[in-house]
Amino acid sequence: MTQATRIEARPLAPKTGLSVASSMTPENDWKPGEQSDSQTDLQLVRKVRNGDRAAFDLLVVKYQSRVASIISRYVYDSQEVMDLTQETFVKAFRAIDRFRGDSAFYTWLYRIAVNTAKNFLEARGRRPQGSADVTDAENFDDGGRLRDPASPERLLQREQLQKALAEAIASLPEELRSAFLLREYDGLSYEDIARILECPIGTVRSRIFRARDSVDRHLGPLLDQSVT
Amino acid sequence: MDERLRETLSSMMDDEADELSVRRLLSHGNQEDVRGQWQRWQQIRDLMHEQHGPADGIDVAGAVREALDGHARSEQARSPVEVPRVSVWRWPVAAMVFMALIVGFGAGAGWDTRTGVSVQALAGGSAEPSASAVTLSAAVEEVALQRLDEDQLRQMRQYLLEHAQHNSVGAGRGSVGYARLVSASGNY
Repeated sequence: MTQATRIEARPLAPKTGLSVASSMTPENDWKPGEQSDSQTDLQLVRKVRNGDRAAFDLLVVKYQSRVASIISRYVYDSQEVMDLTQETFVKAFRAIDRFRGDSAFYTWLYRIAVNTAKNFLEARGRRPQGSADVTDAENFDDGGRLRDPASPERLLQREQLQKALAEAIASLPEELRSAFLLREYDGLSYEDIARILECPIGTVRSRIFRARDSVDRHLGPLLDQSVT
Repeated sequence: MDERLRETLSSMMDDEADELSVRRLLSHGNQEDVRGQWQRWQQIRDLMHEQHGPADGIDVAGAVREALDGHARSEQARSPVEVPRVSVWRWPVAAMVFMALIVGFGAGAGWDTRTGVSVQALAGGSAEPSASAVTLSAAVEEVALQRLDEDQLRQMRQYLLEHAQHNSVGAGRGSVGYARLVSASGNY
């Protein structure tokens, strides 16, 4: 069911008859947050260094799922996972001045998460239960699925969300859907999308925003419910 | 949050926002709105890429903020205790050093009154005391060493020397007094 809705959503770009030039297509499936030098991350880090706590909030929201997932490779208790996730971000905030930008912010954060989890287990005389290592941060590929010991209710809720998402995307006007999917599934830059769709970058920016907004409104109540 | 700011936030999701727009967004009055919208769009993205994690839908940012604020509050709560503690140490030490300087200087000057050689004269290597030095040493003697007999004077010297030594070793602030005393006595 979930897979079916995803498959239904993915080929929307080909349905529009768009052809993406090979030079514009990433070698592998693009996953958000994989950029080695995320501009937004660096912008936010600079703000945090200048004392902007709101900027750090955005980084936390962006990476909380992935950090929790990494930690859950070591620690299986969900409460401990959440505590260590929180501790990872607190440590990151306090050490943000030491982030030199040699690696992506996420790689740096990943290392803190792994060390936090390992230190936690060592302090309790427990051996790591998982297999992740700091070196994984460089080539982190979760295959699109993060470790998530979800309850059956949660899985059902997710299935409903997936279905609603597919409907929301399908109901988008053609020009919004094309721009949105080229960005979300193919990971193309606004400039590349503008070239493909033969429109100004500003139009691409606006279309993607409107698509996102529309999907958000469509999912609205379901997303609200998923917030525990 | 107006449409323009939300469009900026959307651009940030895609790493396409410029510095100025980001600054404008982060200076927006209601950051809760910004965070809420950002979280929803991140959730949608995770959903599209089937990236589900144990922290889905949990307000980790809020918990982190509380932890950081809580730490800051505890730091602030501690600081009023620490400030007086520092001042409690500093003032007596400063007063002791000051007293050691005054009394040490007076005692040093007074030791040599019998020979009529003042502190300044000793320092300058001159055997002839100047008129001002004699006046000063006499004044200090009057203040510090009035009506002391020989035993009391010896005890006073010993006490002052020990006091100055203690200051110079213990607090690192009495070295001037100690140096003054040593140079004045000429025997240590």
